[in-house]
Amino acid sequence: MAYLKRSPWIIHYDGTSCNGCDIEVLASLAPRYDVERLGVINTGNPKHADILLITGSVNDQNREVIQNIYEQMPDPKVIVAIGICATSGGIFSECYNVLGGVNKVLPVDVYVPGCAARPESIIDGVVKALKILEEKKHKLVEMQLSREAFIIEPATIEDAAEILALQKLAYQSEAELYNDFSFPPLLQTLTELKEDFKTIIFFKAVINGVIIGSVRGCVKGDTCYIYRRIVHPMYQNLGIGKKLMNDIEFHFGFASRFEVLTGHKSRRNINFYERLGYKQFKCEKVNDKRHRVYLEKIADRIRV
Amino acid sequence: MKTFLMILAYIIFAPVLGAVLSGLDRRVTARMQSRVGPPILQPIYDVLKLIQKDSLVVRRSQNFYVAFFLVFIIFTGSLFFSGKDLLLVIFALTLADIFFVLGGYKASSPYSIIGAHRSLIQMMAYEPIIILVAVGMYMVTKSFYVADIVSHPGQIFYHLPGIFFSFLYILAMKFSKSPFDLAYSHHAHQELVKGLTTEFSGKSLAMIEVAHWYENMLMLGFVWLFFADNILVGAALTLAVYFFIILVDNVFARVKWEMALMSSLLVGLLLGVGNIIVLFFIRR
Repeated sequence: MAYLKRSPWIIHYDGTSCNGCDIEVLASLAPRYDVERLGVINTGNPKHADILLITGSVNDQNREVIQNIYEQMPDPKVIVAIGICATSGGIFSECYNVLGGVNKVLPVDVYVPGCAARPESIIDGVVKALKILEEKKHKLVEMQLSREAFIIEPATIEDAAEILALQKLAYQSEAELYNDFSFPPLLQTLTELKEDFKTIIFFKAVINGVIIGSVRGCVKGDTCYIYRRIVHPMYQNLGIGKKLMNDIEFHFGFASRFEVLTGHKSRRNINFYERLGYKQFKCEKVNDKRHRVYLEKIADRIRV
Repeated sequence: MKTFLMILAYIIFAPVLGAVLSGLDRRVTARMQSRVGPPILQPIYDVLKLIQKDSLVVRRSQNFYVAFFLVFIIFTGSLFFSGKDLLLVIFALTLADIFFVLGGYKASSPYSIIGAHRSLIQMMAYEPIIILVAVGMYMVTKSFYVADIVSHPGQIFYHLPGIFFSFLYILAMKFSKSPFDLAYSHHAHQELVKGLTTEFSGKSLAMIEVAHWYENMLMLGFVWLFFADNILVGAALTLAVYFFIILVDNVFARVKWEMALMSSLLVGLLLGVGNIIVLFFIRR
């Protein structure tokens, strides 16, 4: 049933807004417009919220905050960019510190332009967002039902943003394991990842058009380096990781040696690679929290 | 058999009634603020939505505590509505609330930990008065059993006005309403984000909501005990008390914890203990 539509709880974040749009957002909660009659509550807590309203543009200081809020919201969730600044950066788009609209950092679902956006259009935007929220819910359910029907294919540069989002999600557990949030995979930017596409081959695992796993590799000399094998937390233990490894090894079948790396505490990863025939040959200290473990596999037959 | 039926009725009807009352609360509050307000069944929509949402947890064990909170609230309410010992009800209720507080501590976010601290402070404030309620009821009816208290002839309120008003004073804490919504509140934007419930989402938050419906019905049951002689008068006055609390919620701002603790201890000492002393001399 469509209960999501009946009780949308919002969280409102003020980026670099001049407060014009913020006041209009709050005005829609006040007696004249009273969005609570639609079940809307301004929660102020990402973990309770379904809809993220962002006013104002994104800059270097608040991008992490916005990402953090977004990641703390439970699925399904939607983002509404309110006002022209949140849509495109508005008159501030050329400022040296402004990155642009919210879509530079997060996948925005609904744009409500205006300077300032009027309460009527904000409410309209929220109502539009509700439809998308329902769609997302259906998608989640469908994905849950078709967990095992995944296909693996080479990724293209258009997949970069989706792979990056998945990478940040998948590496969360690793970062927690070492209590080190300065992991390179977590800090990588979209431009850097797009740059990687020039030199590295990417594979993706797809369910219903959504990327839920990825791996990448490149060849230097005789050795094929495979790294960043990521699988969405919801789809682990289904053999997706193993299939990804098989496919990328097959792709680089001409290499005589394969090399992977992981962290010293990631017992599951090390076991996984050992089951695939890899052997540990090097351990290197990265910082006080983390050591890198290198594993290698010599190809038993060389394909012609 | 009657016990079993009462327990079944409580388990089935308490959350429904609790939800409707909480919907009425939101509607009345909206009207007091000259708004339209949500539909009466809004709390039920909210909970059904929360069940559909993903659950994000800091530590998995936090959900375990919340599940026990719900289970013990249902256990407490079942004891109460099947006419069992009032003292046992009070201790089981405290245990349930302690589980909730432990859940807040386990989530280890600064907001939920401060919420947990404040919830403990509130317990220090209201526990003595709830125990005074049981003591007062015993002095009037010579029994701790809810069944005996209900069948006592004459309104108990006439003997225990002081205890009733001190109970009324701390009821805002149990309903987490202003001026005592320190630990967490339904109202948006407060200094603690959402206090105790900050780190709960999805199904566990739904469980907390349902537990609160059960708890609210139990607390209204306590109010009803004071007027249990006539079932209609009792129901009407219990509803009146509920709306009084909503009114107070809309009239007063939140107080600091020192004020909440000291004032309720003072009220408990003056009105509650005073009532018992007077009763003791009259009844001698």
